Amino acid sequence: MKGRKINPKRFEIGQLKIILLILPLVIFMGMPIIFILNHAFKPMEELFAFPPTFFVKNATLENFSKLIKFSDSSGIPLSRYLFNSLIVTAVTVGLALLLTTMSAFALAKIKFKGRNMLAKINQVAIMFVSTAVLIPRYLVICKLGLIDNLLAHILPLVAMPVALFLVKQFVEQVPDSLLEAAYMDGATDLDIYLKVIMPMIRPAVATAAILVFQQVWTNMETSSYFFSDDSMKTLTFYMNTLVNANNTVAGQGMAAAASLIMFLPNLILFIILQNKVMNTMANSGIK
Amino acid sequence: MAEMTKKMTRKEKKELRERMKHLKSGKLEKRYARMGYIFMIPWFIGAAVFLAYPLGSSFWYALNNIRITPLGRIFNFVGHGNFTQILIEDPDFMIYLVDYLTSTVISVPIIVVFALLIAMMLNMKIKGKGFFRLIFFLPVIIVSGPILGMLNSQGAGSVSAIDTAALSGAIGSVLPELIAKPISDVFGNMITTLWYSGVQILIFLSGLQKIDKSMYEAAKIDGGSGWECFWKITLPNLRSMILLNTIYTVVFVSNNSDNPIIVLIKNSMFSGTKEKGYGYASAMAWLYSIVVLILVGLFALLLATRKDQYEKQVKRAIKARKKEKRNKKRIERRNRRNAKRIEQQRAKGRITSHTTKRDDY
Repeated sequence: MKGRKINPKRFEIGQLKIILLILPLVIFMGMPIIFILNHAFKPMEELFAFPPTFFVKNATLENFSKLIKFSDSSGIPLSRYLFNSLIVTAVTVGLALLLTTMSAFALAKIKFKGRNMLAKINQVAIMFVSTAVLIPRYLVICKLGLIDNLLAHILPLVAMPVALFLVKQFVEQVPDSLLEAAYMDGATDLDIYLKVIMPMIRPAVATAAILVFQQVWTNMETSSYFFSDDSMKTLTFYMNTLVNANNTVAGQGMAAAASLIMFLPNLILFIILQNKVMNTMANSGIK
Repeated sequence: MAEMTKKMTRKEKKELRERMKHLKSGKLEKRYARMGYIFMIPWFIGAAVFLAYPLGSSFWYALNNIRITPLGRIFNFVGHGNFTQILIEDPDFMIYLVDYLTSTVISVPIIVVFALLIAMMLNMKIKGKGFFRLIFFLPVIIVSGPILGMLNSQGAGSVSAIDTAALSGAIGSVLPELIAKPISDVFGNMITTLWYSGVQILIFLSGLQKIDKSMYEAAKIDGGSGWECFWKITLPNLRSMILLNTIYTVVFVSNNSDNPIIVLIKNSMFSGTKEKGYGYASAMAWLYSIVVLILVGLFALLLATRKDQYEKQVKRAIKARKKEKRNKKRIERRNRRNAKRIEQQRAKGRITSHTTKRDDY
């Protein structure tokens, strides 16, 4: 269990210089997060204070209660959007990870005709501006009859070229001799995929999971272009319309609260996954 | 095996190849390839329907002038008309493109080096590593999404502590305007630039932890300093990660929804004027992605993993041996030619034969 011992148990004097180096950068990078946290709890007069204050003085939950009240007044309850978002995100992340790791394994380790061409197609797809394929995508969705179907949220994002590229790069670093040893012992390709490749690239999978999650969670394009039924749209879209529709003085507080709500799931997911990302690395056996 | 192929003449080799054509590939190989297809199929279907088909049709759209009317889409084939119009007539595209290129070329190395430094610091033994890691990764979550726009509008994206105006003035006095402006722009958006480095830090960290610890120990025993260890062990081992990160950064910076070119494409897509519209936007997107592709290619060329030293030396030795052999053959041929000539001369009786003995010297 080498991997569990990444963090030293005690504080030592020798660590001081590293902490001194990192601390300014940490403050620098952490500022926006603190800002978001504080902003959501600011009462009205502090939101517009000049010069803008960083920390909240009289914290209130006023913004949140306003948000809830507003969403109650509209026809569709907030929970409906939340449900849509959760389902869509869970299914998309699961499917995308499965497809990505499978095809990354095939692209990196199995020899077959057209392998290089597929990898090149993927690379071109990474470079391409996604907004430019919006209308063809819409036509595809139309032809498949998926308008106003939750699948329209999921399918366009399942094949994600960036994630495939990332995972493929990691799979390539798994030594061939390891796979050969497994083949010698009678492992099938499926065994190799499940028992050799997957445990070894877990950090890459976790990274890809975070990437895909964030892409899906903050995605508004599908909601605004493929859906006309309001009850099928996602939470992100709703929050965004909320912010835009109330882009007045009174709406600012709600916007701040909404952005905190949108930000929290990402934070929680990363806290859960980050230990996986780092600790599996040390004992993965990749040399 | 190697000697066998050497002895074969060209004709024999050709025959062998002909014979090999009729042989089928082994069962194992076939099964292997089949598994490859099976693993690829799900992704391939998704990619074909939602990536490849839209990509292909957008290329077709780029060659057309498209107007969306109540009766449907009206296609009007214009060939390269959209492209020439963008390159020659569009007032914004070229300016944005040049801006984008300069700022990317400057900011990508900054992001990658910054990520490497942070990753190395996070890889050292300190307490509270998880917390630091969290802080450095979190911006990734913020960068994509509506929050960034809000923060930018409130001026959180620039460093107020560094006086940007003074800095750009100072840079401007040393360098010509053309170079100075992008540099000071990059400094002005320092926080946003550094926010982009979360994923890169993660990738570098995983690369760093894969490096064998015993290499550092061996280097230390031989008296290598930390500085030397960095250049001779860390960097060479991270080379593929650096390439990966650079490509990722370029792609991320280029396809960010805040990028002015993306905004331009989006605007012209939904613009109602006669010349613009969807075909025009597609053409613009294609031009832009070709530029990005070239940029990535340049970076990749710069950082491509070279073969390691041992292989290089083996190759060099083989080359030298071949050259030697060639020389030897040439000398032999020349000697033979000379001998023949001497024979001829002798036959004509121009050279009186005489022999030299070893003792004469």
